[in-house]
Amino acid sequence: MSEESAKKYTEKEQNEVFDGEFMPHVDSMYSFAYRLTFDEDDAKDLVQDTYLKAFRFINSFERGTNAKAWLFRILKNSFINEFRKKSKQPAKVDYNEIESYYNSDDVDSNITTDLRVETVQHMIGDEISGALNALPVDFRTVIILSDLEGFTYEEMAKILDIPIGTVRSRLHRARNMLKEKLEGYAKEMGYK
Amino acid sequence: MSDISHWFEETFKDCYCAENNLVDRAKFKELVQLVLDDEADEKSRALFEEKIRTCISSNSCFEDEKGILNAIRTKLADCKSEMPSGLAQSIKNSISS
Repeated sequence: MSEESAKKYTEKEQNEVFDGEFMPHVDSMYSFAYRLTFDEDDAKDLVQDTYLKAFRFINSFERGTNAKAWLFRILKNSFINEFRKKSKQPAKVDYNEIESYYNSDDVDSNITTDLRVETVQHMIGDEISGALNALPVDFRTVIILSDLEGFTYEEMAKILDIPIGTVRSRLHRARNMLKEKLEGYAKEMGYK
Repeated sequence: MSDISHWFEETFKDCYCAENNLVDRAKFKELVQLVLDDEADEKSRALFEEKIRTCISSNSCFEDEKGILNAIRTKLADCKSEMPSGLAQSIKNSISS
């Protein structure tokens, strides 16, 4: 029996789950979608599509479990499987190549930053946000999930469908890349 | 012992020389990340805390990383994009149609 046809909830219960457990996360979902697509209309479409899928497969959701992580996983998969293909901003970078480069053992010796707390404190949110947005999507994603949305490594592993050790190493590399960009930006702007 | 705990223990050993001085700051920063993300288990955290109490270099590295991460988190949270008005209602409409 497919997930879609396995009826677990009555119509009333479906609406309760949807309104009570799914809808409270729409704000975070939009924020995540916007940081993936950089386009308001695309982000809205992605969130709409995610919620339609969530409703369609609502019987595979266990009430009381982590609805936010479940929804983020659907959104991330929609973005990768369907959305990125028809996006108005097609990927210009070979992410697999970057991923394999940044997952290599010697990567940390290639990224060494001397970023100071005071430098970051001098910056405005938009400058940091711009640096985050300039990261390849897989690295941007782990920072969003961890530092903006507060997911644990275990939750991130489930959302991204990768081992927990990869979450740890990818997040570390992503933060190093972000620091490197911030440091470069600070030098450009003459921040001390 | 979880994979992360095992990794923490092994990496911790690599960070210090026989005289207990911090010799690998890059590796140590990876441990700091786990602590700041609240992903280190009790035993790993105790080992870590003891070290930052007794080693100036480790303490300074930890405080720097903590300050940078907190500043980045705060500033990113301040510029979350606004959700378009009507999106929630539009979602509700689409599932009831």
